[in-house]
Amino acid sequence: MRQDKKKRQKQMLKKMFPFISLSFGILLLAVFAVHSAEPEVIAIKDGKILTMTGKVYEKGLVIIKNGKIDKVGKGGRIPRDAKVIDAQGKYVMPGVIDAMTYFGIRPFSRNVPQPVTPQNRIADAYYIFGDLFTGEGGIQAEAELLCGGITTVYIAPGSGQLIGGQGAVLKTNGRTYDGMVVSDPASIDMTMAYAPVGQFGAPPPPRPTRMASMALLRTTLMGAKAYAQKIEGYKGKSAEEKEKAPKPPRDLGNEALIKLLNGEIPARVEADYVDDILAAVRVAEEFGLKLIIDSGLGAYKVRGLLAEKKIPVVLGPVSHPIGFTHYNASHEVQELENERNAALLTEAGVKIALGSHSYNYGGSGKHTQGRWLLLEAALASSFGLSEEDALKAVTINAAEILGVSDRIGSLEKGKDGDVVILSGHPLKIESLVEHVIIDGLISYSREKANQ
Amino acid sequence: MSVIKRVVFVSLVIVYLAGVSTSSGNQETTFVLKGARVHTVAGPPIDNATIVIENGKIAAVGQNVTIPAGVKIIDVTGKEIIPGLIDDHSHMGAYVPNDLNEMPQPIGPENRAIDALHMGTPDWNEAVKGGVTTIVTGPGSGERMGGQSVTIKTFGKDLEKRILKEAGELKMAINGINLSHIPTIHSNFLKAKEYLKKWEKYESGDKKEPPPPRDLAMEALAKALKGEEVVRVHIMWANDIMSFLKLKDEFGFELQFIHAPEAWKVADEIAKRNVPVICMPIELAINVPESLLRGIVTLHKAGVKLAMHSDHPVSPEKWFRINASMAIRYGLPKEAALKAVTINPAEMAKVADRVGSIEKGKDADLVVLDGPWYEATTPVDMVLVDGLLAYDRHQDEHMAEEEL
Repeated sequence: MRQDKKKRQKQMLKKMFPFISLSFGILLLAVFAVHSAEPEVIAIKDGKILTMTGKVYEKGLVIIKNGKIDKVGKGGRIPRDAKVIDAQGKYVMPGVIDAMTYFGIRPFSRNVPQPVTPQNRIADAYYIFGDLFTGEGGIQAEAELLCGGITTVYIAPGSGQLIGGQGAVLKTNGRTYDGMVVSDPASIDMTMAYAPVGQFGAPPPPRPTRMASMALLRTTLMGAKAYAQKIEGYKGKSAEEKEKAPKPPRDLGNEALIKLLNGEIPARVEADYVDDILAAVRVAEEFGLKLIIDSGLGAYKVRGLLAEKKIPVVLGPVSHPIGFTHYNASHEVQELENERNAALLTEAGVKIALGSHSYNYGGSGKHTQGRWLLLEAALASSFGLSEEDALKAVTINAAEILGVSDRIGSLEKGKDGDVVILSGHPLKIESLVEHVIIDGLISYSREKANQ
Repeated sequence: MSVIKRVVFVSLVIVYLAGVSTSSGNQETTFVLKGARVHTVAGPPIDNATIVIENGKIAAVGQNVTIPAGVKIIDVTGKEIIPGLIDDHSHMGAYVPNDLNEMPQPIGPENRAIDALHMGTPDWNEAVKGGVTTIVTGPGSGERMGGQSVTIKTFGKDLEKRILKEAGELKMAINGINLSHIPTIHSNFLKAKEYLKKWEKYESGDKKEPPPPRDLAMEALAKALKGEEVVRVHIMWANDIMSFLKLKDEFGFELQFIHAPEAWKVADEIAKRNVPVICMPIELAINVPESLLRGIVTLHKAGVKLAMHSDHPVSPEKWFRINASMAIRYGLPKEAALKAVTINPAEMAKVADRVGSIEKGKDADLVVLDGPWYEATTPVDMVLVDGLLAYDRHQDEHMAEEEL
């Protein structure tokens, strides 16, 4: 009897196999359809175009060809093979850039219980499919980001270390890291007054003083300098000498720091207190580093200095600049917080960008979610930043600070085809993102997402 | 409140207010706000309106209002004015130091938030900045019955006058992970019913027998049974919502739901019993799926009375207004969204005789905004509480901006 039953089940499965495989295939096709499509010619017509170069076209035309922007202007001929998007009454702007996230890096991977790990890379921790159990921070999350018009993010390795590792700039659409990367390494990510973490539930080690932290930073950078000299010295040797002297062993951490020391990539230093900001400036000048201040809660207090030294600031979100711990934080931090930070810095001539600090599409009660970055820009504008400057802070200024403005940040011929179409002005509460195009691919459509 | 506690309490407030009193000193008791678009919430918006404020109350509002001779007129042409915002569920003053939850004690309806209210934190100031003028603040959700909340203004010199209701609601919580939650609450209501009976028998008798022993916990529950106090329950899932509705059917207490992200799934059942929902915060840091955001509209369409809340510090009080903005973004009509942060929470907290709308005789709690009230791009210009200037954007900016 039992064998009969098994047999019957087997036969049934055999009969159903074509159907099962067919439906599985369709499912796969459906899943991959969006991502595997070849870039086509897209024409966006009659929308109000905010190019973010200063030019605004009331009823303009944007043409995207081979993944790049081919034309931006008042109007003109639309190629016959173009897929046309009618944007009449809508707004067209470059893809939004979130200049500070931990996106795709699960909490487990985020911080290492060592103060200095410049060798750590986003590529090794970025998990595109999200948390294995909850799905958070994966493909689903991308859709959540896309509905906010976010096309590019800066990803930091964490904020619990003095030198956390190398930051990276990624697009929000794609299935592999290599297919998404815009810039990697984009920076060496550091945190002033860092709070060490414990691992596997172990209690964190005691927090070092700021004096000791800075001494460690200087020692590390001096070590990297010495390493660079050793490598250079070996390169300069004749073949004969090279045979005699052993090749200096490779050191991944110092290799990364060399890029920092010779100015290829900047130091992104998370610093909120004024003394931390000043300490970062001091070290940067001492070692000739390019410096970007991250978070910068108290940056407005030294805005003149930052403007004079041309140090840009990637501010945290206006509504939740330091997260849920805010109200458990010291009064000193709460007193320091000033919603007009962005406006004051901009007035003084400091270049700013906004970052959500989100670590996945969620982050309930911690920081602003990545998808609402445009609304953060709106809040910044309610506290004195002009609407144009607020939009710049999440597009062209962010691209310039991240060092990728040759590819993204504005609607200009030759740049990546990253375009967002909204139902109204990007800073208004009722405006919804209708289409997101990344590298010439329609990656999100509100209509489809709602089905 | 004991005398000592009261003294400590008031002196704390004085210390706290020392910082803000400068902005409210030497102010006229009668003055006029003229020229704004006023959302009274009691009727359609009035353009180019005049509001007369007298001794902390609204003396008149409308287009054709006689302005008393010689009073100060503040020109607010081009601005919008809404009633001071009311947050029906906050933990301000209760979480620092950690006085939120009496964890090992699951049933503590006798605990009162007013006895643990901490006034020294800067967030009271921040709340005012965000336009929030009245809050219901109380115990956390760690216990089945956490205790009684207090309804209080966010600004004012005299603490006693700031309090609208000492014990405004009876806070309960169902976390949906334990089968014993509902029976625990159920059996306590049964006990309270007996307690109430004993007292009613005593009160209506000749009082020759000694009175039954008093029990603070049972007294609190008996108040709810008599309809003198509202039961508010922190609740998540639709099945818990149904269970609690059945408790209401059995005992007849007045019920209000807090958070209730799944309320929209049983919207008709909730509407049928006239139970209002205080929706969970949806401002920018809160991770909520779009289904929930649209669920608020579903509840509205079913006729459920809605309020928004901050759950401060979960979502900061100063961004309370943005919760209404986000509800609008996802389809709640603007008038309904404004009501959900003004008159509705006032009615739910039983303080609508004093706050919640801009009407003659009500407290002069007003928010002046430089643009549409719901836009994130709109700054709060000025906040009045009981007719006193509690926040002035330009003064605040001036104070905070010095460079080192």
